[in-house]
Amino acid sequence: MYPAVIEEYVRPTTVEDAVDVLGRYPGGEAIFLAGGQSVMQAIKSRMMRPRCVIDLQDISSLKGIAVNADGIRLGAMVRYVDIVRCAELPPAYAALRDAAQHVGDRQVRNRGTIGGSCCWNYLASCLPATVLALGGTMMLLRQDGHRREMAVDDFLIGPLETARGDDEILTAIHFKAATRTGSAYQKWGLLKDALPVVGVCVKVSLDGDGRCIAARISLSGLAAGAQRAPGGEIVLVGSAGETGIIEKAFAMIAEQVDAQSDQWANSAYRQQLIRTLGREVATRAFGRARGES
Amino acid sequence: MKTIQVTINGELYQETVPIRMLLVDFIRERCGLTGTHVACTYEGVCGACTVQLDGEAIKSCMLLAVQADGHRITTVEGLANGSDLTPLQTAFKAHHGLQCGFCTPGILMNMTEFLEKNPEPTDDEIRYGLIGNLCRCTGYVHIVDAVRAASKVAKQGGQDGG
Ligand SMILES: Cc1cc2nc3c(=O)[nH]c(=O)nc-3n(C[C@H](O)[C@H](O)[C@H](O)COP(=O)(O)OP(=O)(O)OC[C@H]3O[C@@H](n4cnc5c(N)ncnc54)[C@H](O)[C@@H]3O)c2cc1C
Ligand code: FES
Ligand code: FES
Repeated sequence: MYPAVIEEYVRPTTVEDAVDVLGRYPGGEAIFLAGGQSVMQAIKSRMMRPRCVIDLQDISSLKGIAVNADGIRLGAMVRYVDIVRCAELPPAYAALRDAAQHVGDRQVRNRGTIGGSCCWNYLASCLPATVLALGGTMMLLRQDGHRREMAVDDFLIGPLETARGDDEILTAIHFKAATRTGSAYQKWGLLKDALPVVGVCVKVSLDGDGRCIAARISLSGLAAGAQRAPGGEIVLVGSAGETGIIEKAFAMIAEQVDAQSDQWANSAYRQQLIRTLGREVATRAFGRARGES
Repeated sequence: MKTIQVTINGELYQETVPIRMLLVDFIRERCGLTGTHVACTYEGVCGACTVQLDGEAIKSCMLLAVQADGHRITTVEGLANGSDLTPLQTAFKAHHGLQCGFCTPGILMNMTEFLEKNPEPTDDEIRYGLIGNLCRCTGYVHIVDAVRAASKVAKQGGQDGG
């Protein structure tokens, strides 16, 4: 494991400069380096042989978590450890902390970023599925200065694939403010905090009587990558988070998904994980929406 | 090639390095600080190469040396003040927190930051903090003992010293 020759290393201070450098090389030959916790593996194994590395560490506009009345904005370079330390995350987005807190290990959390994780979109990952259930908006900037916003549902295409153009940088992820809303994420891996064999994220919004008016459920660890589970979402809507209904929703999801068998778990085990994790995560999301924790 | 300036354990190193050079190799081969180890052929999973970058534990095989340009690194050589060991180092010695010692520098660098952030951890928190460091000898029990002891020593030291 050692990188092939790299010709150029740059450390721009603005996003405009970063996309400019990208444009000087044919597609894929210049790459962004965020926390490096995925891409360095690819570079060292020579799965990727970039000619130019564009290090994003000095771009201050990509950093910081801003919470205000409209919602929250996380810069693409916000690290897992920054999310864990953010005391003011509203319950609607508590799943971000659930996920970030258990990524890998301390050293990985000190480096890895939410933007890097979403742009890499590895199938066994935590943040893409979490951002998906939370309904984030991805903010992109193109080399010609064009800015666009994209729903996370459209951004995440499949394992290691996103709708980000070769000439684009992810600048931030936005989440709209939401009242009486709670979310939660949990994964199961072979070791504590290992990559998810299955991960489940749930977000629910309640009306004044505590009935669910909107639900988003996502799964990670499945071969098709981070995905929503619309069948189960419909079951949760109208409920007050009764255990029986939550179990019904996740039994249906486990039945409907294409859960692969591999060296980590067989299909039946993955389905069981979806049922078990789903019950815990949905119960916690309802509790948070009610303001319980 | 690129010329970089990195402060390691308070000393400034200026070197011209290939861009593809990993930080761990810069530390070991250019700066001669071989206390930082490589145990997993740079796969990023063993934690033996853990150093502190601006005070935070990171795996130095997961960075290019050029990324550390302008930054401050602390390696295991930077912990003790002459022959004055830190409370954590002393605790490792007292509690047999090491056998072959290959994993130890990485664990010290991680746990030193860990204790700064969480001076009175529970055993569960210590074990959770150690996930990124593999030890093939101790079974971790004595490592956990050492970290727990250092957390108390640090507290007493704080009281004694006012
Ligand atoms: C030991 C270990 C354990 C791990 N455990 C887990 C785990 O439990 N759960 C989990 O989810 N992940 C885990 N990971 C992966 C980790 O989460 C990575 O940090 C993350 O996938 C990538 O984020 P990064 O900031 O390191 O991105 P990088 O590796 O720097 O980049 C990833 C990709 O995104 C691109 N990119 C980065 N930022 C941008 C941007 N702003 N705009 C456009 N493109 C960009 C890069 O060019 C690259 O292609 C683990 C990694 C390791 C080494
Ligand atoms: S050498 Fe194993 S994590 Fe760096
Ligand atoms: S003491 Fe030998 S690997 Fe930890």
